[in-house]
Amino acid sequence: MTMTAMQMSDRSHEASEYLVSVRNLRRHFPIKEGVLQRVAGHVRAVDDVSFDIRRGETVGLVGESGCGKTTLGRCISGLLNPTEGGVYFGLESEPHRELDDLLNTPSDGRTAEQDQRLKELTHLYRIDAMPKKRWAEYRRNCQVVFQDAFSSLNPRQLVKDIVGRPLKVYREASGSHLNARVIELLDSVGLGEQHLFRYPHQFSGGQRQRISIARALALDPNFIVLDEPTSALDVSVQAQILNLLHRLQQEHGLTYLFITHDLNVVRHMSDRIVVMYLGQICETGPSREVFQNPRHPYTEALIAADPTGGSEERDGFRLMGPIPDPARPPRGCRFHTRCPVATEFCGWDVDDVVRQLESSGVSIEGVSAVERHSDFSAELDFGTEAQAAVLVDQLQSDAVPDVMKRSLSQLKRSDKRVSVAFDPVEEVRLERVGPEHDTACVLHTNQYPQLRERS
Amino acid sequence: MARTAEVGGVIRPVDGRLRALATRTRRLSEIARESLRNPTTLIGGVIVVLFLLMALFAPLLIEPNTPNAYQMPRDFSSVNVPPGTDGHVLGTTPTGGDVLYGIVWGARTSLRLSIIVVAITVVIGVAVGSFAGFLGGKWDEVLMRLVDVFLSVPELIFALAIAAVLGPAFGNIILALAVVFWVKYARIIRGQIIHVKQNEYVDAARVMGDKRWRIFLKDVLPNSITPVVVQATVDMGHVVLIGATLSFIGLAEAGLAEWGNLVSEGQSGIIAGRWWVATFAGAMVFLWSLAFNLLGDGLRDVLDPKSERR
Amino acid sequence: MVHAVDGVTLDIHEGETLGLVGETGSGKSVTAKSLLRLVPTPPGVYAGGEVSFRPRNSGEAVDLLRIPDQQLRGIRGNRIAMIFQDPAKALNPALSVKQQLAEVFAEHRSSELFRDAKIVAGPPGTRPLLRRAAHRHSTFFERRLLDLPPFRAMEKRLERELDERIASALSATRIPNPAKVMNSYPHELSGGMKQRVMIAQALACDPDLLIADEPTTALDVTIQARILDLIQDLQEQHHAAVLYISHDLSLVKRISDRVSVMYAGKLVETATTQQLFDDPLHPYTRALLAAVPTAEQARGELAAIEGTVPELVDPEPSCRFHSRCPHAGPICAAREPQLLTRKQQHRAACFLYDDPQDLGCPVDLMPQSQVSETQ
Repeated sequence: MTMTAMQMSDRSHEASEYLVSVRNLRRHFPIKEGVLQRVAGHVRAVDDVSFDIRRGETVGLVGESGCGKTTLGRCISGLLNPTEGGVYFGLESEPHRELDDLLNTPSDGRTAEQDQRLKELTHLYRIDAMPKKRWAEYRRNCQVVFQDAFSSLNPRQLVKDIVGRPLKVYREASGSHLNARVIELLDSVGLGEQHLFRYPHQFSGGQRQRISIARALALDPNFIVLDEPTSALDVSVQAQILNLLHRLQQEHGLTYLFITHDLNVVRHMSDRIVVMYLGQICETGPSREVFQNPRHPYTEALIAADPTGGSEERDGFRLMGPIPDPARPPRGCRFHTRCPVATEFCGWDVDDVVRQLESSGVSIEGVSAVERHSDFSAELDFGTEAQAAVLVDQLQSDAVPDVMKRSLSQLKRSDKRVSVAFDPVEEVRLERVGPEHDTACVLHTNQYPQLRERS
Repeated sequence: MARTAEVGGVIRPVDGRLRALATRTRRLSEIARESLRNPTTLIGGVIVVLFLLMALFAPLLIEPNTPNAYQMPRDFSSVNVPPGTDGHVLGTTPTGGDVLYGIVWGARTSLRLSIIVVAITVVIGVAVGSFAGFLGGKWDEVLMRLVDVFLSVPELIFALAIAAVLGPAFGNIILALAVVFWVKYARIIRGQIIHVKQNEYVDAARVMGDKRWRIFLKDVLPNSITPVVVQATVDMGHVVLIGATLSFIGLAEAGLAEWGNLVSEGQSGIIAGRWWVATFAGAMVFLWSLAFNLLGDGLRDVLDPKSERR
Repeated sequence: MVHAVDGVTLDIHEGETLGLVGETGSGKSVTAKSLLRLVPTPPGVYAGGEVSFRPRNSGEAVDLLRIPDQQLRGIRGNRIAMIFQDPAKALNPALSVKQQLAEVFAEHRSSELFRDAKIVAGPPGTRPLLRRAAHRHSTFFERRLLDLPPFRAMEKRLERELDERIASALSATRIPNPAKVMNSYPHELSGGMKQRVMIAQALACDPDLLIADEPTTALDVTIQARILDLIQDLQEQHHAAVLYISHDLSLVKRISDRVSVMYAGKLVETATTQQLFDDPLHPYTRALLAAVPTAEQARGELAAIEGTVPELVDPEPSCRFHSRCPHAGPICAAREPQLLTRKQQHRAACFLYDDPQDLGCPVDLMPQSQVSETQ
């Protein structure tokens, strides 16, 4: 068993097209409450995310703060363990296809043989389950450049020790050889020998980010996770760093995962783009394609909000309302609560009633009991009949989006009790809409054929 | 300086070490210069240095008593003589002890007491606090509840109780103080470590695959230790104050050359106008703890990690 | 001595938005703070200059750097308001949103409040008592006093009046459900919401000038766009002048009528937004515009500005940009360029547009403008 593992790892290192594959990755953080630290719920920072990173390309990961992009980056770099699913490293195309087939079969539909094979693949390729030796290989091959160049360098170490540390950890160099290697690394990021014996606080933000990059390069990795590497920098310095990153990519054949909220940067740097919202991927595809022909309203909204890229035609795409609580994400498409073109199939649920009431200022204090049958149907008891009537009026007023009203299958008041029910919908699926271009919007996919007919 | 500066050229390890040392000493000298500019550290530092000199050179200043230098010599022929008397510059105690001897050798006693107590408590406190803070989880819970128990008893009363149970001896005072003082350090270092642990350079070290203990020693501990240094400095004074209190109550050996002991011997004479015994010794205790407090407060400003960033 | 802001001259006209652009360390924030004398002295020193402010209602100009503190306090938050980058730090975490806003009204609008609450007369000391109540500064004794008949009714009316004003100030910033937000504390609100509260606070007294210091930097793009729209709309309603400070050229382009560019404590260029973005004169402005990454530019070929911002410790008289400037000639390091009008409404501080004869210096010392064309 170990023999085959070793052989496979050697081969995959050379040949695999997919450097890193993320499959069904979930990372939930428990919310603890009270003295006893009871778990009251989970923040679903990353919730069922799958995508591939190919050798030599730059994948841009965009989204607003709190969308889970940093958590995803930390899972991929092995700093966090996923709650479910995982990150696969060095899959060749054959096992890659095999893994996808197995994962796409529902777990109760798999034969014992298939289960066995899945276990084997997991053991061979998944970074949190792979043999120690292979994990060490991944650890060397995947480095990270962090956002905050102030807190990512130990203030009590000299540049020489910071940049040379990875080499020491792996006993790659010592003494004069170590110094020479460090100077070489500094030189490759545009710093020099004169910076060797200085403390990080003696450098400007851009220079510190260069030191970070030199440290990440020390072990000559294949893959670097760039977590907002330029968002703390000025435009002119950002341009320097972006140029540097590109040059290094060319020279060392690096693969980048570029995490950022800045659309200009991601557009400039990435071959492919993954757009995230509330822990899920809403659109992914070739960078040019996604920007010129976005197939998800959230992507359109992001482009519209960007002051340079925002053209007048997209001005309708101003998002209203707050980002929902990631501990209780909306059903269906998570974006439907803020989406300007939402349909009745987007997953309106009972929580939307509550959200609607809260934002419109109607007091929901009169609610005395809620009986929740499912996410899509519930019965609310009020203290008085009048209060119940207010809710019904409110839900029928113009303040509520038409599509939400349309998806209401039941709104009935009997005395002090109001029963609300929506047409239940499935989760939206990420579907292919163009070459390598996937989106999770029902307007663009075939999940609800009636929608396509309408448009 | 840049003779070897050809890129990719070789810096001899000796050179490298020397230059690293140069940068580090420059940093130290910056701290020293900053301390001298700060009046608090300057005044505190000067008094502390004087005390240290007095303690270290006590045997040169006054002939040590035999057989035990830490016992005041008794001169039963001149009891209660006022300051200025021949042979007794600062007068004598009701039992004929020389006050000057008590003051000078008392400094040595105080230094011994504070260094031993602070060393023991810092080591224990930092060990326990690091354990709790770095490992977290269950360890943290258990250790911190233990610390809470210790902290819930007033330190003077706690120390008093322990020393009283163990019996009157200087060694027991050290023990009692050590038991009381370590919790503070555990608290401080734990909080610091939990804070420092979140820095991205810790993640960066994990990404490069460094061992956990090395991350602790290289990244976490050095960046957490500053408040401990400050607290230890302040405690050098505090320990002597409480130690003096304990020996004032009579928990040290009788006749020990120790300031609290002197105050205790002199207190009954104050009403009778024999002010010198208690006053000189009391002033020493006051000055000692004031000096270390000033120094500690000043260091807090000088070592402030925020000022390092600028 | 660090010369953080060095000889900056700005005009902001009524109802216009002036964008002030600059990178870290350019002195743009210090400039803004200096307008209201918010830079702590010491260590800061106002070495000279004046800030002339002409309020709309009185029309009489005052020099904000020289008027007494008392008078300045009456202008801060009232005639000139400021919003900051980090609303989490600018709002007091211990006070509810309502209390934060009540503070502003009680400070600057107390007489109107009393008039509208129909508090005309009362025993002597009534007004100070109620004013302190509105400020939430009442002592224990005063609170007992406020429970007594004549005061009680007055306080109720005052309270109602305040609530009304606060709610309308909040709803002006399109905060959904102001009644609920009013009673919440800053930590319960999202970043965008906090920024709205701060804007409501700033605009509560209908100021003549609003200084916005990077108000959207800490926010997400989608929310950023909405805050920008909001500031623009409110400005149109109130006819206030806005000084919009940002490091982000694209934001400034979107919101400003005119733009000033700062570099290393100096103003290098001022122009209308259109002029500045269509035809930037100063090499620094050009470089800054070119450094913004776009999809069209080939990767790795962004026009970065090499080098770093110079130290501002006792600077020599020279163009501060000369060490990084592709055009720089010997004169740039020896003399300081003047911010002069080069085209209509377009001022730039660069020797490229100076006549060597006027300066009295040989032509070969002048910067070479051809460099840019060939590159």
